[in-house]
Amino acid sequence: MCISGFVSDRAGPSAVSKGSEGMALIPGIVLAVLVLSGCEIDGSDNLPRVPDQGLFMLAEVNLHEAEDEAQVAAAVFNDGVPVNLTGGDVFEARTATERVLLMKPGPVEGSYAESLPVDNSVQDVFLNIVHEPVEARASRWYPVDLLNIDPGPGELVGKSAMVSFPLPVTIQTPVADTVYTSITDTVDFSWIQGDNFDDDMRVLSAIECTDGFATSSYGTVVEKEAVPGLDFDDGVEPISLDRFIFDLNQGSSTIEFLSDAALALMQELLNQLSAGNIDPDFLLRQRNANPIESNCEIRLFLQRRRQGQFDTAFDDGSVTGSTSSEVTILYIPAVTLD
Amino acid sequence: MQLDVNLGWTRLDAGGNDNFKSGKALAVHFDYFLKHWLAADLGLYVSDKTLEESRQDIVGAYRTSIQSQAVLLGLKPRYRFSSPYEVYGRLGLQYWRTELEVEEDFGAGIPGGIDSSKDTGYGYYASIGGGHYVTENVMVQIEFRHMKQLDLFADTSRFPFDLTINAFSFGVGYRF
Repeated sequence: MCISGFVSDRAGPSAVSKGSEGMALIPGIVLAVLVLSGCEIDGSDNLPRVPDQGLFMLAEVNLHEAEDEAQVAAAVFNDGVPVNLTGGDVFEARTATERVLLMKPGPVEGSYAESLPVDNSVQDVFLNIVHEPVEARASRWYPVDLLNIDPGPGELVGKSAMVSFPLPVTIQTPVADTVYTSITDTVDFSWIQGDNFDDDMRVLSAIECTDGFATSSYGTVVEKEAVPGLDFDDGVEPISLDRFIFDLNQGSSTIEFLSDAALALMQELLNQLSAGNIDPDFLLRQRNANPIESNCEIRLFLQRRRQGQFDTAFDDGSVTGSTSSEVTILYIPAVTLD
Repeated sequence: MQLDVNLGWTRLDAGGNDNFKSGKALAVHFDYFLKHWLAADLGLYVSDKTLEESRQDIVGAYRTSIQSQAVLLGLKPRYRFSSPYEVYGRLGLQYWRTELEVEEDFGAGIPGGIDSSKDTGYGYYASIGGGHYVTENVMVQIEFRHMKQLDLFADTSRFPFDLTINAFSFGVGYRF
């Protein structure tokens, strides 16, 4: 990543003073993804909805169908700047019986991810920022309990959030391996409604395209801001294929690439579903093949999302528990004769 | 009797995801020949401060270093060819004293620092080498050395480790 500047959760007033610098960093994150991609997509509508002022918590906990581990991703922003937890401060995710520390830095600076064992009885997941000077160093080879320079807990330690899982998602359409031939096609989603009409729906995608010589892989997200019908769990939603497939040469004003915690969460989910055999930068991989002219496998993850609660110490936040189900469709462009 | 002085390049392996740079070490051996082909081997091993590559994780940036000394006691069999060449080995026990140091940096505004700890214990060593007699009493030699220090910090930490030191050295032996 080209992001080099960051603030720490201990930086205190100095972090606040870096606000203007940080405001430039958020577009920088998106820009980095796009620059890495080599495409010319207009990313201006893809900024994380993080306010420029105050302490903001972003967390997502997703339980995918038939999985016994939930994916957890979290990040904290201070005045719009992602905060790097450091010195032994770390996110903790816990249920009544299980506990993990979010030790894996997400693909985007300041995001952290991990898988949390769950079973059918688990309803709630608690997220806390804790100070664990020994556990946080567990991946090091030397005796970290003996040699440990501990700066003490940072300012964020003690802050918390809680999410609940909505009912599992069951996708009815599209059926697996449905073929689409044009980006003007519509993917007609239908699913079994949950128990709360006010739950949001969201579609994440992991897309891999090949034109026979080169490949591209990337992730996108379709949310209620782009498709208002996803604001309710009503069981149906048509979504245009151009929210997943784009023209590398022309760019797109409709596609929204994954960023921040959603990107970390998605990468963790792909890693879990593939038993670790996924490119750790799958969703950030450089795009070489032009998707609109390539055969693409589109893995669609339909999420049912329920807002959680975050600590009053945060000025704002987006804390979400979700369940998801997956269906894979295919994009095979129609052959045109010159 | 024979006095060997070897200067070597070392590779350290602490058994985990450590990534040490190469280091240097000096070994001095005094050999008392019990038979013409077998000597008692008494040695002293001293390494320089060997640094690990700097690493970064969720806690911060860190770098470790190890410095070690050892007293060696064992046997040294040898075979001298009719030509002015000789092969030899060493096998024995070591009593080591090792210092592990960690330097951490957490970024702007947060004090980092250095912490270190020493430990002593036992282990073993083995060598194989060859020499060329320049004169009847002076031999130049090369030697590959394998040393194992066992259970470092086992008494003070829940995360003890074994330290392997492999070294390739050049040296001089003097028979008297």
